[in-house]
Amino acid sequence: MAFLDNSGDIILDAVLTDLGRQRMAEGKFTITKYAFGDDEINYGLYNKNHPSGSAYYDLEILQTPIMEAFVYSGAGINYGLASYTNTNLLYLPVIKQNQLNTVATRLVSSVYYLAANSETANALGSDTQVSGIAGSGELGQTTKFLVSAATTQQVILVEAGLDTSDLVADSSNRSTYIVANNLLDSTFNVYFDNRFIANALTPTATSVFSNTSGNVKEVSISLSTSTGTSQASGMTNFSVASARGIPDTVYYVSGEGNVQSAIAGPRGSCTALNFTVYSGLDATSTGTTDSKYTLYGKTGVAADTLFPGSTSGYTYDYIDTDVLIQGTTTNVAYYATIRILRRAS
Amino acid sequence: MPVTTYETLDTSADVTTTRTLLHESIPLTGAIVSGTYGVEGSEDNIKNYTHGMFQSVYDYPYLSSSANHIFDITMGYHSDSVLSSSTSVQNAKKINNYNEFAQVLLGYTASTNTVEIFESDLSFGDNDNQMKECYFINFSRLITKDQVKKGTFSIIVNTGSWVTNNIEKPSYPAGGCITLTDASASETGGTNDAGLAGEYGVLYRDNGDGTYGGSTPATAGGPAQFGVVFYQAGIVVLSSSIFNKLRTGGASHPLNSFWREHSNGFLQGVTGSFTGSAISGNCDALRHRLANISFNNTTEINSTIYFCRATHNKFNYSYNPTYVSSSKMVVKSVAADTPVSYITTIGLYNSSNELLATAKVSEPLKKDPTNELTLRVRLDY
Repeated sequence: MAFLDNSGDIILDAVLTDLGRQRMAEGKFTITKYAFGDDEINYGLYNKNHPSGSAYYDLEILQTPIMEAFVYSGAGINYGLASYTNTNLLYLPVIKQNQLNTVATRLVSSVYYLAANSETANALGSDTQVSGIAGSGELGQTTKFLVSAATTQQVILVEAGLDTSDLVADSSNRSTYIVANNLLDSTFNVYFDNRFIANALTPTATSVFSNTSGNVKEVSISLSTSTGTSQASGMTNFSVASARGIPDTVYYVSGEGNVQSAIAGPRGSCTALNFTVYSGLDATSTGTTDSKYTLYGKTGVAADTLFPGSTSGYTYDYIDTDVLIQGTTTNVAYYATIRILRRAS
Repeated sequence: MPVTTYETLDTSADVTTTRTLLHESIPLTGAIVSGTYGVEGSEDNIKNYTHGMFQSVYDYPYLSSSANHIFDITMGYHSDSVLSSSTSVQNAKKINNYNEFAQVLLGYTASTNTVEIFESDLSFGDNDNQMKECYFINFSRLITKDQVKKGTFSIIVNTGSWVTNNIEKPSYPAGGCITLTDASASETGGTNDAGLAGEYGVLYRDNGDGTYGGSTPATAGGPAQFGVVFYQAGIVVLSSSIFNKLRTGGASHPLNSFWREHSNGFLQGVTGSFTGSAISGNCDALRHRLANISFNNTTEINSTIYFCRATHNKFNYSYNPTYVSSSKMVVKSVAADTPVSYITTIGLYNSSNELLATAKVSEPLKKDPTNELTLRVRLDY
């Protein structure tokens, strides 16, 4: 009989990332922890119906060619493997943006507009052309943009829950599939670029996102400036803010349609966000244009270029920046692109 | 997106260090050093400098970005040498060269505060076998890496005459090639580390019969050792006496076997060349007599090994967006099915969650609650 393969473990050569080299040059290179990733894997190739049995379910996955390591630290592990002690989980939560409530800011061309000051907000709000930023119709004039530092106006609203039609979005399933399985995010981490955003505004304890037994919306969201968190972002120039998770108790009401929640099945929690732009980026049109608009964005863009059909004649400066919202329990994440907009003339 | 499922490394149980020596074989043929890229005076891979202190040898025309610096050659003699004279060409520079190598490689005598003199034996303080007239070959860090491996160095030198491309003048029989080797040196002995620049070994004549050195060499008379090799510094010190060797057979000649024939027919022996020619001319003379150089270099790799463990109850799920479809895990049909994930990448992080190093596996590794994996991630320095 042949010998058994007793090589035991697997040796891997590691490469330093750009950040690793930088930290080494600074004398701050200390590895303290590790994580596993599976970015190349497409789990859609897992064939549970393979005619030859379970040993063949992952045949295609195991043949996935693996790329060499990236030096760019931002591309090392994008998602990562998760550890849940319960091996009987069948559903895992997702996080989605809510576009159904009036308080929820709409995506315009896949970005959230953030007016840097009230002058810009007024300009956007008065731009009522059909294709413009405000437009007409059911959404009104201000649901399509955020206003810097505003605590009672529009927010970015995201919900975490089980987005499946297999499970009814009722209280029982929320308890069974989310709360009991420790899949409820009571807080969210908000990662933002501190070169452009000074603070994140997050929900206060009095915020509510629910409905009545008659399927009447009970939505009351107010924001306050988040107290920062000491958690390291792991990303250059990014800070982390902690946002309260509002219990998402929007339940299915028999015979009624879902007009309030973006999640099809049981909902866990949601959070709402606004931002205060970095000082200097909020200068009015008569003020000085911050050099960051030139360095990282665009300046003097005509309104009808940004919003086809606009006849306002204004020009704008803007910077696009990404914000990451991540549940602290489930680690589900949502990327939002924020366009910081300032009326230039 | 920042990863949030980390495992902390236990520095006492999960981290260890190791040291590995990597050797490469370095063959330098004589054709690269001379002959391939032109004739003396217009060799494109040879770089001479206006200061005239040394000559650089490349493996390709040095103006090309593809060229690699292989080594430098220079020569010199001690101020006490019989060759030292104000009438000698570049006399001061030749003395300066010798002194520089001696002070860096050997240091100064304690009593008189003058530089030590190279000796072709393992004790340079006893003032025998002194080498006061020397060639110096400085190998590039590119090929020696951390050091020359002891016991592997070999150099074959034509001790005969040279006009062009080692063609012997028929009227003066060849002096023949001589092979010098440090075969008596090893990691455990046969070297001297009393100098300032690490260890050196002696270059003995290879008698061609499996023996080295000795007082009755098989091929010719004269000394049995002709130089030393400094392993860590990557420098060979070659005594000019190698060219004083009497020719094998044939009639003796006042210039011994070494001679240079200049364009006007003027002949020089090695002594005449050391005193009457510039440093670059002497370098040319040696270079055109180098038949082969070979050695193994050494790269010392210090590694840290991180044992990254995925225990049975960890890392069985994934945040990969394809892992769920409508919130339902695609690898399960019912809740009781075993969760499974596939590892392709290991990330090493600091306490600030910054990704400092990445390792990849060659094929996906299946992870489920029925198995445990220990991945040894090695980081080389």
